Amino acid sequence: MGPRPLLKVAGALAFGGVTLAAPSARALEAEVTSDTAAQAYSLRSPFGDPILFRRRVTQTLGVGLYSLLPEERPGGPQLFVKLRVRLDADFGVEATERRYDAGAAGTRFTPGLSDAPLDLMYGYVEGRNLAGGWLGVRAGRQYVVDSLGWWSFDGALVRITPPYVHVEAYGGFEQRGGLPLSLGRFERGGVSRGDRQSTLDGSPDAFRHFQQAAMAPAYGVAIESAGPTWIHGRLDYRKVSNRGVATTNALPDASGAFGTTSGTRTSSERVGYAVDGTAGRWGAARAGIVYDLYNRLVSSYYASVDGFVTRRLTVTADYDMFRPTFDGDSIFNWFTHWGMKTATLRAALTVTDRLDLAASGGARWYQTDDDPAATPVAATGVVPGGGGGVVTSNPEANDPHSLRDWLGAANARYRWDSARVALRGVFETGDRGARQGVDVSGDKSFRGGRFFTLARASIFDWRDELRPDQSATSVGYVLGAGFAPAEYARTRVEWEHNTNRLVGQRYRVLAWLTLVAAR
Amino acid sequence: MSARRLLERGLLPAALVVGALSALSDGADAQPRWIRGPTPDGSPTPSALLPPGAPHPDAVGPSRVVYPAQQITIRFNHKKHMGELGMSCTDCHAEAKTSTKTADRMMPKPAVCDGCHGSKHDDLRAVAGGDAGFGSCDTCHAGWTPDRGNDVARMVLPAAHLRSNHKAHADRNINCEQCHGAVQELELATREQLPRMKGCFTCHAVAGPQKGKATSDCVVCHESVPDGRMQVTFKEGKLTPPRWMGSLEHGADFIARHKMVSGDNAKACASCHSESFCTDCHDGRVRPRNVHPNDYLSMHPIEARMNNPRCASCHQEQQFCLPCHQRSGVTMSGSPGALRKQGRFHPPASVWSEPPRTRQHHAFEAQRNISACVSCHTERDCATCHASAAAGGRGYNPHPAGFASRCATALRKNARPCLVCHESTELSTRCQ
Repeated sequence: MGPRPLLKVAGALAFGGVTLAAPSARALEAEVTSDTAAQAYSLRSPFGDPILFRRRVTQTLGVGLYSLLPEERPGGPQLFVKLRVRLDADFGVEATERRYDAGAAGTRFTPGLSDAPLDLMYGYVEGRNLAGGWLGVRAGRQYVVDSLGWWSFDGALVRITPPYVHVEAYGGFEQRGGLPLSLGRFERGGVSRGDRQSTLDGSPDAFRHFQQAAMAPAYGVAIESAGPTWIHGRLDYRKVSNRGVATTNALPDASGAFGTTSGTRTSSERVGYAVDGTAGRWGAARAGIVYDLYNRLVSSYYASVDGFVTRRLTVTADYDMFRPTFDGDSIFNWFTHWGMKTATLRAALTVTDRLDLAASGGARWYQTDDDPAATPVAATGVVPGGGGGVVTSNPEANDPHSLRDWLGAANARYRWDSARVALRGVFETGDRGARQGVDVSGDKSFRGGRFFTLARASIFDWRDELRPDQSATSVGYVLGAGFAPAEYARTRVEWEHNTNRLVGQRYRVLAWLTLVAAR
Repeated sequence: MSARRLLERGLLPAALVVGALSALSDGADAQPRWIRGPTPDGSPTPSALLPPGAPHPDAVGPSRVVYPAQQITIRFNHKKHMGELGMSCTDCHAEAKTSTKTADRMMPKPAVCDGCHGSKHDDLRAVAGGDAGFGSCDTCHAGWTPDRGNDVARMVLPAAHLRSNHKAHADRNINCEQCHGAVQELELATREQLPRMKGCFTCHAVAGPQKGKATSDCVVCHESVPDGRMQVTFKEGKLTPPRWMGSLEHGADFIARHKMVSGDNAKACASCHSESFCTDCHDGRVRPRNVHPNDYLSMHPIEARMNNPRCASCHQEQQFCLPCHQRSGVTMSGSPGALRKQGRFHPPASVWSEPPRTRQHHAFEAQRNISACVSCHTERDCATCHASAAAGGRGYNPHPAGFASRCATALRKNARPCLVCHESTELSTRCQ
């Protein structure tokens, strides 16, 4: 099924839901939301040239239709439709960046770049607490947030919700860049996909890393505890497959040809489990783990223990590991890389019901297959200029070492009913560089939110050990003001000014308009 | 904690800060000074008399958002009426057994008082006082003086932002004290005696079917918005979860820690937050400054290199990072026009990419944080050296220890990445 038929099915379901509910239309609630954000700023290459001028207007339109069932009540059967579309126009894209012209000198074509992509962020019809509260369904483009991450697909989800244990199953197609009304935000990394056919169809050997997008079947199941409020756990499994033709050889073979492969193959297959528990007034704990069945390794895990030392003081120990894994089509899964581990201790203090403080510090460490600080290690492979002989490497003989960064953070926040002041400080330092800084921000609304002001000031310093010429100190500020001319409209304008020795002065202007209509 | 209490503890600097900040506050109980409180001597209400679930000690009181500030201008001694005079709650608050929503007014009508006090409230424009002893207007209407006539201070009791149903509770034989604490032991009943969520959970957190309608779903008690989520924004402020509820407290650094909550229990998040709340940052088009501070364009390389796993939670490297890097010339493979004036981004090739490996060699950078490599490099950049000689590369083996035991499975599940660097004939002989 192609993307357009799928959207038609989702639309038909939504329309059907509305139509079926028509007899009880007196209960219908509708909401239309429009957000417009215009921003202008420049982006300079680290080499000074080119400078990209970004003049972007992002327009989102949200529609919600609620209470489609007769006499809906809180906690009872519920049927509604939600939809949100977005147009992200960048008026700073030049024509030579959009059009591929192999013969043109100085072409700056960037594969996948679109100057005004339109995407359906989500659009679904959902029923909750159906069949006596034991059933929930959702059909259309939707998000899934679970131990495996933040993900989006087009399809259907069914949730069985008896007491104690809930079961969820879903299936459809992963949202993929290059397909209609879709972006690549939710794909696994390591692969660049898009609409290659319409931009590079006549040049099969150009930009071979840029793969043609195709529908990617996906399904998943989850089991989740329900009922007790002091403990909760969720087990997730999800598999996504790649289909269609993919280019293979990055380099031409002896005959000068490039290869392709096709068929159904694994994109990702992972299982994750997360659990949390609270022990009354003593503390809480949570933990999670993700196993990548394709890579056959644990790709992340974490554990966090909170101690409620006093009514206002919480002390926390956190430990987490993250090892990047990529789409099954990506070569980067198979390059030597290890998990980055982080351990921190944290203290959070609620001084009053308005003032919160938090501070944390710890270490982050990572593994290398040899000690970078020791005697240089001879690499394996062909010796450059050595007659083409290949030396077989032996990674099993490596001598793993661990390197470490130190990090810390501090946060403070004071809240009034109509205002807020916050302070944030961070530092991290290690053998690859350092970063530290602080920013202070505040906002205040007046006259019941009719007027709004904000300000932010910051100073950050960073040191790049690999490229010392890219080290700098940055000072910046933001000023903003807003006005709500009516209950259904809000406007806001922000001005940002930063300065550092690398880019000199940088300015950014941002304007917002939000409109809400509800009935 | 108030500035006064901090001062009493000798914490002068903290008292000054809190005092100064409190001076800017725009919402608090506006209780007239001439009103006596719950206790005769003005001391805090003993913990044992507070509603179930109230903390010990209760320095803050119930949520100012759920229960907006009140102005009570009536003197009333519950202990005297219920203890000495033997009255019950419903003698005055008769509607407490039939009320179904918090907007219902349950304060006794003045005529109820007239029965004993001898006053006459039939016509509120011409109220007559009762006996001089306990029937005069100022017996109940604090601040009243004879020269004010019918003018008494206005009482403000905003409805709670809840959908609490007194009748449903009364029908299940739940008595007043189970939710409101020992009001009969106090003089004035203030906001302190309003039910606390932790107390509600005594019944509402019971697991399984026996809980009946007393579920722990937020919207059973809290007000909701049309799509069924709990309403959290009111003119009095925003509701956030307490620490005892799954350690979900939205403290000053919650934004840096929320992934552990949402990954485990996204339903808890979705009970208050809509998708667009999450997408504003996780799939947004305007940089969220509470995540990425000012001038982040300049400083993002150093953070990306040091702590890249955090980038991947919102950005897909080859879709988000690569096009921008290609446009600005910070890539190895890109259009000639964009690369024309490129300098060298990494350290000199002699130490960055040529053998032997030293501390600055790219192999260590890749092992530490390969996601940073992927944000600029396409597979061709890597295959040039790491592909096998038969496939046109230089044969530098990038695979980790233990790879040999996994490669056959990997090939079976997806041969595409193998074919990027190896000839198919090579795979058939080496990867069994």
